[in-house]
Amino acid sequence: MSVLAPERTPVHEETISEPNVRTRKKDFAGLVLAVPFLVLLVTTVLVPVLYALYLSLFTERLHGLGFSGPEHVFAWLGNYVSVITDKAFHTGLGNVALFALVHIPSMLVGSLILALLLDSAVVRLRQVWSLAVFVPYAVPVVIGGLIWAYLYSPTIGPIKNLLGIDPLSPSAVLPSIANIATWQWVGYNMIIFYTALQAVPKEIIEAARADGAGGFRTAWSIKIPVIRPTIFVAVVFTVIGSLQLFTEPMVLKGFTGTVTSTWTPSMYVYEAAFVAGDNGRAAAASVLLAVICALLSAVVMRFSTRRSR
Amino acid sequence: MELSPALRTSGLSRRGFLRATAAVGAAGLVGGCTATAAPPGATTVTIWSWLTGMDKYVAAFNAGHKDVFVDLRVIAAGLSGGYAQQTNAIRAHNAPDILHVEYQGLPQILLTGGLRDLTNDLADLESQYSPAAWRGVRPDGRTWAVPMDLAPMVFYYRKDLFDQHGIALPRTWDEFRTAAAAVKQVDPQARICTFPLNDGSFFAGMSWQAGDPWWTAQGDTWAVDIAGEGTKRTAQFWQSMITENLVAGIVHGSQDWIAGMHEGKLWGLLGASWSVGTLGKSIPKDTGRWAMATMPTWDGKPANGVQGGTAFGVSAESKVPEAATTFLRWLSTNPEVPKIGSTFTTPFPAHLPNRAVARQAYKGGYFLGDPVYDVLDEAAKRVPDWTWGPNALRLFSTISDSFGPVRGGGTTLPDALTKIQQQAVADMRAKGLSVREGKAA
Repeated sequence: MSVLAPERTPVHEETISEPNVRTRKKDFAGLVLAVPFLVLLVTTVLVPVLYALYLSLFTERLHGLGFSGPEHVFAWLGNYVSVITDKAFHTGLGNVALFALVHIPSMLVGSLILALLLDSAVVRLRQVWSLAVFVPYAVPVVIGGLIWAYLYSPTIGPIKNLLGIDPLSPSAVLPSIANIATWQWVGYNMIIFYTALQAVPKEIIEAARADGAGGFRTAWSIKIPVIRPTIFVAVVFTVIGSLQLFTEPMVLKGFTGTVTSTWTPSMYVYEAAFVAGDNGRAAAASVLLAVICALLSAVVMRFSTRRSR
Repeated sequence: MELSPALRTSGLSRRGFLRATAAVGAAGLVGGCTATAAPPGATTVTIWSWLTGMDKYVAAFNAGHKDVFVDLRVIAAGLSGGYAQQTNAIRAHNAPDILHVEYQGLPQILLTGGLRDLTNDLADLESQYSPAAWRGVRPDGRTWAVPMDLAPMVFYYRKDLFDQHGIALPRTWDEFRTAAAAVKQVDPQARICTFPLNDGSFFAGMSWQAGDPWWTAQGDTWAVDIAGEGTKRTAQFWQSMITENLVAGIVHGSQDWIAGMHEGKLWGLLGASWSVGTLGKSIPKDTGRWAMATMPTWDGKPANGVQGGTAFGVSAESKVPEAATTFLRWLSTNPEVPKIGSTFTTPFPAHLPNRAVARQAYKGGYFLGDPVYDVLDEAAKRVPDWTWGPNALRLFSTISDSFGPVRGGGTTLPDALTKIQQQAVADMRAKGLSVREGKAA
């Protein structure tokens, strides 16, 4: 958004000189270049968000059998109250919190270790390895979910026989979903970390080596601290992604009754809008979800800046 | 992507033609539409549907009619998006002339106030329909839709295995339990059937048979009785079957289920009339193994549930309701329709003369035992009174959510039922509907 910077122009207005004209032209060009982005931002983000806010304040009231049709009523914050007091919404939040607890550490630690291994000298066939780990990210989530669902199916899939537990049973379904997500995202974050590791100055590493640090010590005391900002960005994205968890449990829902229709907050929104037909409640729930996402990312960012100081 | 209102009226201006072409193109993208442009002077009727083969019916209608032209748009099936799309279109005042409703979804669609009262338009057809289907489109005594088919539940079983091991076909649920134990004894890995806990419409069909309807429209009030005596008995029976490990828990239609059916791990299916087609498609190599029978009964008194069934409503805001009704009457009652249907499925029309046509056109050869249409006819005759409520579709997901923990021992079916009843009543009251708990007076 800083591309626009229109307030700079008046400062130079007093003297009309060549550089000034150039700046104006530049500003105009910047505006033109920003238009496609602004149009998309307004039509696909701001307008829908405002419309969702508007929808969340209304509800439909019926009378008698209901066949005479609904009446639109301003509900104040009624939809928000009913979402906040809904046990199903709490359960959904609890599920994504547990999911995040399992998924975020295992996925980030996994991709960090893989990135460090790729970055170290010991790996042969570097490109083959990175491609192999990255490929799941290129598989559409629904397809990946279906593949795992078949693997998890108790009678046709091998996992029940291998592990001795039914991956779709009530106690195992959450780790099973976390496993799909981890499989999907580990390669992506590995590439991000690996790219950041490439930018670690060679001199520091050489200095560490000269001081007698081994591979582990270099990784722990030099490489990880240097790429910490990148790690925090990955954490923020993963936290938001976890809160918005939708596709994986939605696919598994078709295979097992243990995933309920409101298993995550996003599924809660889907159920309210497309099954119950209650757009007001769906809008209120999505606004709440967005607020929770924003708050959590703010907390993580705050934490990250404090740590890196 | 919405069809413009200009399309609905007659006359074919250049712009109208362009729009029609664009609409046809859009429909073609979504699901394959065979429509060409409307003949000059014809009234265009728009329809949204997810019925298999609807494109073929529409093409046949358009080929034979000069005055009405039907423009089909294939939409996602029911709860996969179809209902949401139709409800939103009604809210936005740009619904098509004809909407796809299932009997179970009709009252929920009616809450939008978007359907036209067809009581007078269809009054002459009453005697030609299966009574269960006719009741299905008249939840409050007014006719809101045109019935298309009926889906009575049927027990499909591996007649070859039952005969080979001397297990008698169960005619009551007590005998069903005995047969289930016998199946398990022959093959400890096999079960008589599966009881899918994530399928609310299946459980509703099972409870329908027990004779205590979940909803009744009484004057201006809904009587809601989801934990009634008959449903409780159904829940108790299946809970004991699950506790004794006599039924499988696989989901109908999953790969697990198809494998189990084909490999002799499932010896039966509590299905509906449309399972005739499903079996032929999912396990085509099983010719000569399966037979069908009416559902086991509670006390020997004939009774049979229903799972599914399609009907079509006319939009309250349609500018061409007469033309829409003309097409729906043709679709529901013209003998050409079941003839076309029989070429790719096994239709079971709600319209009785058309059912006779479908019976004639059925090729057979897959099933052993009693003729398919004899069993289905008998099942359809046994269907007791039932009214779907205005929250039926949502209730299906409530049921699936509440039954989820049953397998792990987290709850029991009868306990879950009590909670489902409470939640359904609370939901309906929160919407402002007038609700009375318990059996209809």
